[in-house]
Amino acid sequence: MTVAWWCSSTPGQIWTWRYTPFIGVWVVAATFIGGYLLAHRRAGRQVDPRLLRRWVLGVLALFLVSEWPIGQLGVGYLATVGIARYIVYTFVAAPLLLAGLPDWLVVRWFPDGSRRRRVLAAVTTWPIALLLFNAVLFGTHLPITVDTLKVTQLGSFGVDVLHLGAALIWWWPAMQKVPAGNAIEEPLRAFYLFASSVLMFVPAAFLTFSPLPLYGLYELAPPLWLGFDPTADQQAAGVMMNIGGGLVLWAIIATLFLRWAAAKEAEDTAARRVRNEATLARIAALEAETAGTPGAVGLDPDRPASAD
Amino acid sequence: MSSPRSARSSRPPRVRTLALLLVAGLLAAACGPASATAIAAQGLEPGPDGWRGIPLERERSMPEATLLDTEGAEVALHEAFAGTPTLLFFGYTSCPDICPIHLAAIASAMGTAGVSFDDLDVVFVSVDPDRDTPERIDDYLANFSRHMVGLHGDLAVVEDALAQLDLPGPIVEGPDPRGEGDLIGHPAQVIGFDADGQALRTWPFGARRSDWISDLPRIVEEWS
Repeated sequence: MTVAWWCSSTPGQIWTWRYTPFIGVWVVAATFIGGYLLAHRRAGRQVDPRLLRRWVLGVLALFLVSEWPIGQLGVGYLATVGIARYIVYTFVAAPLLLAGLPDWLVVRWFPDGSRRRRVLAAVTTWPIALLLFNAVLFGTHLPITVDTLKVTQLGSFGVDVLHLGAALIWWWPAMQKVPAGNAIEEPLRAFYLFASSVLMFVPAAFLTFSPLPLYGLYELAPPLWLGFDPTADQQAAGVMMNIGGGLVLWAIIATLFLRWAAAKEAEDTAARRVRNEATLARIAALEAETAGTPGAVGLDPDRPASAD
Repeated sequence: MSSPRSARSSRPPRVRTLALLLVAGLLAAACGPASATAIAAQGLEPGPDGWRGIPLERERSMPEATLLDTEGAEVALHEAFAGTPTLLFFGYTSCPDICPIHLAAIASAMGTAGVSFDDLDVVFVSVDPDRDTPERIDDYLANFSRHMVGLHGDLAVVEDALAQLDLPGPIVEGPDPRGEGDLIGHPAQVIGFDADGQALRTWPFGARRSDWISDLPRIVEEWS
């Protein structure tokens, strides 16, 4: 059995359904889950099963798209699967990992006043996060980057780390993690997420509308079946980035927006209720006061307000 | 209770060193190119004259060899393709990588560049007479273009044709990992002949559609 560190493009290597474990993927997944549990133990905290479930699901998503066969197919053979991997890294794994991360653990890993905390605070301000995310999105989808980095295991690993890192930074302010000062909410959050979905159309359009394969890596990979067309595969990858990524993101935007709107509505209703109760109390007090005064006009709605 | 910082600093240095060595080792193992052909992903560099195909240093002609087409008719290479520029490629239908990549790239680039099969012959010669029956060659080429010419013949004739071009003969490389018989080693380049049957340039494995789109119109214009 062949063993490798990380999935990478292997031009000239014929695709077979023979299992090739990627040791690095297992090491990373074990480190993520082991580190999470160990951090709880060291801090003497109980693991919150709800948060653990999200964390494990995030790790599972990373694992599934990085391990054989999806990892190998996506990096070495099919651009469509490559883009699907990016979507899972960015829009599934990263938010799940952040959703599973308790704030106290963030504070523990990034203590107040530490340099790490200052760096975190700087990169997770929303304009910087938006810039970094899109720089990585554009940079890592350039043909020169793909054809140069993804042909080595280290380069391919580096690209995956960049994708996950940029996605975590990008989600950070939107998911309102600490530092609280960087958290954004609607309507800014909706704009922030929407802006990225629109910018994502640019590389997606290049993939969809280019008449030629942009990536030599996929064009020169041994075809999975006779008659395989790398241009059609690339177009499908572009559509996937556009529709798949766009739809996932827009669904998230809509969910967050509706949740925010519902919360605002509830807040307004509660505030209105308090105001109404205060008004009613004032009216009742006034009524009680006027009821004791002979000849006064009553405020009882069942009685005429005017003698005219 | 010790703080996280002091707990970290009290960790035995040997463990940390070992962990670092392990990570460094894994990363170093991951640094090498995944395969020797990885460099081909960038395509061909244009030469000073703008051609992507590599000029041949020694003069060679279309081999004097007679093969059979898929309908069983004899085809003398040096006569049949005289008068039209020709791209000649030796391969086999069970080939998992080089052959389908080359043929797909040429067929697709001809469509994009608007080059007609009337102006350029694309000839595929089988180096695997045992498996490549005429029907199989026909079916295979139909995946790329029905206008490509498929030829076959005795292995000795094919080897002689290759030798006339100073190319090595086919060799059995071992079992195909897909379980489809043996892999056969064969020349990986496409050879370009002008209308007079002179071999002028070759396109090694790694030639991309963009390379062919750049060269095909020049082949038709300058070699006819």
